[in-house]
Amino acid sequence: MMELNLTRVDYLQAGTTSPRTMCLLPISGKLQRVAVADNDGLLQVFSIKKGEVQNVFKTTLHQKVTRLCLGGQPGAQRDRIFLSVGSEVKGFSRKGKNFLSFTTNMTEPIQSMYVEGPDLFACGKFVYNHYRDCKDTNYMLCGDKINDVLCLPTHMVQEVTPVLACQDRVLRILQESELLYEVEVPGPPMCLHLSDNSGGENGNEVLYGTSDGRVGLVQIGKLAPLHKWELPNEKRSGGVLCMDNYDITSDGVQDLILGRDDGQVEIYSFDEADEPVLRFSHTCSESVNSVQGGVVSTAGYDEIVCSTYAGWVYGLTSEQQMKQMGPTEVAVDAVAVAKITNLKTELDSLQQKVTTERESTSSQLSLAQQYLPFPCSTSMTSNSNRANTFCGFQSDVPVDLLDVEKNSAVISYSACKPEEGNFLLATYRCQASTTRLELKIRSIEGQYGTLQVYITPRLQPKTCQLRCYPIKPLSLHQRTHVFDENRPMNTLKLSGQFSLAEMHAWVNFSLPEVPERPPAGDITSFQFVSTFLGTQLDCTYRFVFSPGKGRLCLGSDNISTIAILKDVLSKEATNKKIRLDISYDIKEESIPHTLNLLHPRLEYQLLLAKKVQLIDALKELQVSEGDLSFMSPEYQQIVENADSLQAEFKRQPCHLERLYGMITDLFIDKFKFKGQNVRSKVPALMELLDHYDYNTLAQFFENAS
Amino acid sequence: MLVPIFTLKLNHKITPRTVSLGKFDGIHPSLACGTIGGKVLIHSPHLKTTRQQTDGFGRTPEVSDISLLNINQQVISLATGRLDPEVPCDSLLVGTATNLMAYDVDNNTDLFYKEVPDGANAIVVGKLGGIETPMAIVGGNCSIQGFNRKGEEAFWTVTGDNICSLELVNFSGGGQNELVVGSEDFDIRVFREDEIIAEMTETEAITSLCRMHDTHFGYALANGTVGVYDRTTRYWRIKSKNHAVTIMGYDLDNDGVEELITGWSNGKIDARSDRTGEVIFKDNFSQTVAGIVKGDYQMSSSSTQEQLICVSVDGEVRGYNPAQAGVTGNLMDTNVEQDTIRELSQRKQNLLLELKNYEENAKAGMAPELASGLSSSVIAASGATGGGARGATTLSASSSVIGVGGRPGVSSGGDSSTGDAGSIRSTETVTSYKVGGAIGEYEKAAMGMIPANTQLQTTLSVNSGDGTKPPRVELSISTTNDTIIRAVLIFAEGIFDGESHVVHPSPSALSGSLKVAIIPPKDIPVDLHIKALVGHKSSTQFHVFELTRQLPRFSMYSLCQEVPEPRSSVTMQLNERVQRVFMWLNQSFLLHDDLTVDTEVKVCFMSLRGSGPLIIRMDQMGQFTIRTDDMDLAGDVIQSLAQFMNLDDLLTTADFPMEIETLKQILVKVDEFHRVRQKLTAEMADHSNLIRSMVVRAEDARLMGDMRNMRKRYVELFDLNRDLINGYTIRCNNHQELLACLKLVNQTIQRAGRLRVGHYKTLVINACRGAIKSNNTSSLFKIIQTGQA
Repeated sequence: MMELNLTRVDYLQAGTTSPRTMCLLPISGKLQRVAVADNDGLLQVFSIKKGEVQNVFKTTLHQKVTRLCLGGQPGAQRDRIFLSVGSEVKGFSRKGKNFLSFTTNMTEPIQSMYVEGPDLFACGKFVYNHYRDCKDTNYMLCGDKINDVLCLPTHMVQEVTPVLACQDRVLRILQESELLYEVEVPGPPMCLHLSDNSGGENGNEVLYGTSDGRVGLVQIGKLAPLHKWELPNEKRSGGVLCMDNYDITSDGVQDLILGRDDGQVEIYSFDEADEPVLRFSHTCSESVNSVQGGVVSTAGYDEIVCSTYAGWVYGLTSEQQMKQMGPTEVAVDAVAVAKITNLKTELDSLQQKVTTERESTSSQLSLAQQYLPFPCSTSMTSNSNRANTFCGFQSDVPVDLLDVEKNSAVISYSACKPEEGNFLLATYRCQASTTRLELKIRSIEGQYGTLQVYITPRLQPKTCQLRCYPIKPLSLHQRTHVFDENRPMNTLKLSGQFSLAEMHAWVNFSLPEVPERPPAGDITSFQFVSTFLGTQLDCTYRFVFSPGKGRLCLGSDNISTIAILKDVLSKEATNKKIRLDISYDIKEESIPHTLNLLHPRLEYQLLLAKKVQLIDALKELQVSEGDLSFMSPEYQQIVENADSLQAEFKRQPCHLERLYGMITDLFIDKFKFKGQNVRSKVPALMELLDHYDYNTLAQFFENAS
Repeated sequence: MLVPIFTLKLNHKITPRTVSLGKFDGIHPSLACGTIGGKVLIHSPHLKTTRQQTDGFGRTPEVSDISLLNINQQVISLATGRLDPEVPCDSLLVGTATNLMAYDVDNNTDLFYKEVPDGANAIVVGKLGGIETPMAIVGGNCSIQGFNRKGEEAFWTVTGDNICSLELVNFSGGGQNELVVGSEDFDIRVFREDEIIAEMTETEAITSLCRMHDTHFGYALANGTVGVYDRTTRYWRIKSKNHAVTIMGYDLDNDGVEELITGWSNGKIDARSDRTGEVIFKDNFSQTVAGIVKGDYQMSSSSTQEQLICVSVDGEVRGYNPAQAGVTGNLMDTNVEQDTIRELSQRKQNLLLELKNYEENAKAGMAPELASGLSSSVIAASGATGGGARGATTLSASSSVIGVGGRPGVSSGGDSSTGDAGSIRSTETVTSYKVGGAIGEYEKAAMGMIPANTQLQTTLSVNSGDGTKPPRVELSISTTNDTIIRAVLIFAEGIFDGESHVVHPSPSALSGSLKVAIIPPKDIPVDLHIKALVGHKSSTQFHVFELTRQLPRFSMYSLCQEVPEPRSSVTMQLNERVQRVFMWLNQSFLLHDDLTVDTEVKVCFMSLRGSGPLIIRMDQMGQFTIRTDDMDLAGDVIQSLAQFMNLDDLLTTADFPMEIETLKQILVKVDEFHRVRQKLTAEMADHSNLIRSMVVRAEDARLMGDMRNMRKRYVELFDLNRDLINGYTIRCNNHQELLACLKLVNQTIQRAGRLRVGHYKTLVINACRGAIKSNNTSSLFKIIQTGQA
């Protein structure tokens, strides 16, 4: 396969952008133009001439632009620019003529938008609206947050078929104002894209990208979906924010381009079996908010244009920027040099302006000074468009901060006293150019609170922004739509004088991926699965009108889950002075069931730990003996796979400890429900775990009382 | 851009910091590395002949360019160099926890094998000062020994703590080498032969040192800092979250000036310009870098250049040639122009945002300005007021280079005690900022607006503590109005566990004032870079007040009126005006008010670290007395005083009856341990003879088919073996205790030295060593007291 060699060329920097606010206009002449809109409300359309940015037009819209998409006649070229600004939709022609200003009847800002011929699809957080020729035609209230909307091309699929990507891990296929069916996807979908930009042969193939970094292709049939392929996220890259199809490899097949929130741009091409293969990857320091392939700077050279969170618009071009000069390559680029001088003069004048401004503000008396909140988006990763000088972390829950290898910031922990409500105090001192800091945290289920992050940008005057992240009691659960009814279920029933909203608030408080407001209806049900163990949880709650009582029913095959929920909910209710009637039903057989689920993981981890321990000694033998044929095949295998074993062991530190912790919790919780305190027996359990054997462990659980 | 000219795999695990390159036969360079399991690997690509005989060192006869030497002890340090000036061959020196071995690789013979009970943490080979012959200088447990080619001790001195790194540097520029020593007590000391000519305090144990051109040298600390010194001036330093395993000076870009090449624990290698610390080249290994050396490894006839050779822990070796002459600029893969454009644009964006800030302010300020009628006259100074400016230049300096010094004499780090004396008063410093204004109350709070006249006051004071809280230095921070301090971050080096300390009161305890307890572990002056987040209770935006306060050297001492007189004292004659002494006192101690100048000095302090009272007296005749039972403290006081007064030499009389008493006991103990050791060694020799005969008898019995006897013999053998193992553990413990005692002895000598300044200091140390060698304890005590033999 030909190697892809793309070089980064920067075009310009706009303000901070939202995801998918950059598009390439269809080709006119030789080159394509770029349209980019930012959070300051500035829409710029520009072309590149000899490496220089040439503005076609600029318009100010005064408000944050949340989405930019192109529309046109069905099946024809899409050459009109549509922007969603607040609850308005603006349309611009390619020349910059504002031909449409449509104020929707939505009460909230538009979050996602799609245009297909005369049809306009606009979504708020939970509301979906369909306008035809600017007339409200369809409406739906969705159960969870809508991340993206798309419509199958109407010139290929007769009926208007909108697809909504919802936070609760489903794609919802609509028919007019009704739900046609739901498609479950492996993670919360963040973006949708028509396969091959047109929806494939039948115009019904849709690509989705999830916030946990996975990508898949679904064929939306008339009655049921068909999953074509799914790309797992083995490298644990960031979430997919944008996608495009473009044949950058020039092999006649459209390649898949992904932009991720950890700054990666990836190109996948498809092999004979139509399976995606990674061909190229580029990493920049900021989230990639939009990507599109096209021809922008030089005719004949394909490139991928990307826009980042901080507003950088750059191209990854197949045109070689380096010129060969003897043995070392030196980039002598007159254009770049000119650019630098231009920028420098610009900077000088700006610097002067700022200095005078600084002086004048400081000499004016009693001037109200207000700091603009610097843009900062966070999803457990702190992402600011200003370089950070330092970040402070504080947590009132015991959590581990896991450093991410690519961070260059220097971390320093400080001693803290739990009695002051601090379990973790740490600072990250960032390098000069850091605009994005990623870190992972490891929490323990049952211990909950908030993680507070103080972010200070390198900006005068110095301000600091506080960000809070709740760490939920059952932080390791995720929503699922598959529930196995046959497992032994322990149940916890709560009832009392509380409303549906209150019950929903409790569920939202304890579990992730629950929508903020309660879905419509008298009875609500959510299913969850533990990402670590695979045990499941069912939350069903209803409001009974006649006595005015709420009933909350929780069922799980893991006693610990139930125990955590019981503790959390009774605490919450006591805080709010609500009387709760709690009843529970514990199934003995759920214990061996949970242990059974733990068993293969535990065994695998123990074996892995053992193997890793042996590696050094075996290697030493290998060095001194020079020949390994005398060893048992088992040991030979260890030596052969030493690197992969070590890598795997390194990837999941403390895994074994966590499994041990879960078993101990399970043990304590089982007897807690019986009203016995078995803490004194924990050392015996730990001893047993050191010589792990499933049967003795099950016996121990059975007999220890 | 630069690519490796060769890469090869040794297929052995290499111990970090034990990589060296030598020409063992005088012509062909070979790489020597310590590997796991107590072996030394020699890679000689130019000598492919195999030696068939297995010799005493168990050389493995392989048909390869790799040979292994069995040391049978963990290799701690390794060096190569010419010990004999007449023979043009390099010798290999291997240091273990107890021994130093010099080995002639080419002839396969031992040059010498010396016991070094202090251990060999670092070895360097070369000429030191005016000493004629080259030496192998070994740094161990507080002591430094130099051996010539016969293994005779040609040099000996002590230093403050365990030695981590050694290097010979042309420090004073006089053409002769000085010895630069990095130790665990965070100090870099420079010895001209056995006289200390300079001392620099760093913030962590100094793990590596390397010579660069002229008087420059690079250093690396255990906390991930690397930097470059020119004599006593630090040019730059950077800190990374990774650890620098090894550093090397090498002229990679061929501009005639050596760059600092650093090998990091995450496998990264970078070359930094020696003046600015700017990265000019980097490359990545998959594993931790174990060592970096330079030498002409290719031996190609065309070039006589030395290559840069990097070795990783998994045995990967890469060699780099320096860049071609005439190629300037960056050696990295990235496009320089693009990077510059990006950086400039980023700056433009920052400026635009700042401008916008001002515009918004102007807009918001117009309306309420008159209505509120605030007339504060405080001047805003966006983070650059007073000490704030210093804070900005050090820890948060751009491109994360900390403290680009440049000005000779005053380094911007911790040791600028000679700086501005007036600015470190413990009286209140008021840093004023103008912020906030009057828009709607709620909005104001949410946006983090604070009243325009908000001031932040900081006070440093000594708190003797009570039953619940330990004695400490207290930093009080308070605002002048109803704003609250949400959190305080203090960045300072050497006094906290990490580089920063965070105080984050619980939400219910938020208020406008805050006290931070600081307990500096050592008597060093420290710059505290304080960042206070000020706002309202419910706000999500806070204003950041930045200021810098300096903690004086002796901050953990509280001024008292009357204290019990300590038994020990140091006296000396000081030809200085009393005013100067008062100046020094005011500057070095944390006092609430300045001491008023008097004709005589008499001040009493109480140590907060529990080392008792400290009395400083000086009469009109210039008789200066320090009374304290803590010898370390007395040394610190004298060194600080000498530095302040610019004294070159100072002779003192010390009277430390308690220290002398302890030293006596330790010396007795050392003797005991030595005796026990000899006894144990003799026992072991007996046992091994016995074992030999038992094995023979048992095997005989086996051959004869006498199974009963055989079993009996083997049971006996087993018992004996157990005894041997027991004996071994006893020996180990004995050795450990002996080491601890020897360290104490060395430290006492070092302390005695620190009570004197200049050549008197050297005199004391040398005389003490002489006394210990000749086992003359009474003269040792006399030297410690009078400073003269």
